[in-house]
Amino acid sequence: MKYFLLVLVFYSFQIFAREAGQTEITTDEGIEVFKKEKYYLLKKNIKINSDEFNLKADELVKAFFNEGLYDVIQIISEGNVVLTSNKGMKAIGERVNFNIKDENIIINGKDSILTTNQVEMKSDGTIKVNNLTGLFALKGPKSNLISEDINITGNLIDGKFINIEDVNEVESLYVEDNAGVNIKTDTLDMYALKAIYDKKNNIIELFDKVKVIRDKESIVGDYARINTLDESYKVTSNKSDKKVRVLLKEKEDE
Amino acid sequence: MNKFLNINKKALILLLFLFCGIFAIAILFQKFNFQKSTNEIIDLNPSFDILNPTFTINNDKEKISVKAKQGNFIDKNLILLTNDVHFESDKFKILSDEVTFDREKQTAKSNKNSKFESNGTEIISQGFRLIEQGDIILFNGKTSVLLSQ
Repeated sequence: MKYFLLVLVFYSFQIFAREAGQTEITTDEGIEVFKKEKYYLLKKNIKINSDEFNLKADELVKAFFNEGLYDVIQIISEGNVVLTSNKGMKAIGERVNFNIKDENIIINGKDSILTTNQVEMKSDGTIKVNNLTGLFALKGPKSNLISEDINITGNLIDGKFINIEDVNEVESLYVEDNAGVNIKTDTLDMYALKAIYDKKNNIIELFDKVKVIRDKESIVGDYARINTLDESYKVTSNKSDKKVRVLLKEKEDE
Repeated sequence: MNKFLNINKKALILLLFLFCGIFAIAILFQKFNFQKSTNEIIDLNPSFDILNPTFTINNDKEKISVKAKQGNFIDKNLILLTNDVHFESDKFKILSDEVTFDREKQTAKSNKNSKFESNGTEIISQGFRLIEQGDIILFNGKTSVLLSQ
């Protein structure tokens, strides 16, 4: 019987080549199954491979299941987590909380990164994205969102994606940072303490300590309204004693 | 001299050898029988305490039956179950070759390769621990899980 079991185990390890529809999990230091609480803990050097996603974590994975153990609905991972999905999403962070059913992902820790179709998000705090609703939020130092035509930096970046022909585009944005928000497009470099973007109206609004730089032109004020289609903008000052300042530099080749 | 009083020496020696032979055969036969009975006695005293031990773990939600081919008492409550050890409930089955079972605490521990099977789930590990009356199962060492829907 002993040899039978050894052979069985040996072959089972061989047989554990994943087929379509199956999820394969391997760990170095075992699994704790909590049937009453409906979750299991996977310990050290965890690898999860499924049709929908692949996950690697160095330390710990807490996987919640619904009815049977196979019905995993949420995965919380710790320690150099790398999560890739078949929808083109990649999440890297110290801690990743992935809700499979709701397609909600939260990444915590230094150097957190989330890349999804044409958009890259970085933060030393938290990145939250819901793939179903398109809502996202970046909070913490070095929070940064880069898409094909815009680069946004701020302590809080809150917004919503829309998916147009498999490409995620930013539909709306709210950005704030007491030290200053920065928004860069191909032609404009914008600074403020707060910014709001609305794709529907193609308008970026900047609030407080506003500075807009285009080519050699620099305008400073308290409020700016920028049309992203024709890149025309209006800068105003809230206080009567404060004036809008425009700095023009001569181009070097002129 | 009377003819009948004459002893046939050859016949006497032959008779003597015959008796000796029978005696030797009788001794050998007796010795063989003794060895056989000793072996039988040894066979009746195997190296385990319980043959086909069966136990049950009861918790709020399920009844887990514990079966093995052999069992040895480590102490009053601890039993070393060996050979074809099964933990089985309506929801899962664990197969191992050596498990220490605690009758009083209703816990089990194994450091040998183990296989867990449940609906759509297979877990192979380098041992396991069953605690809190089977509500928590810990799989030790390098572990592999296959989930199928």
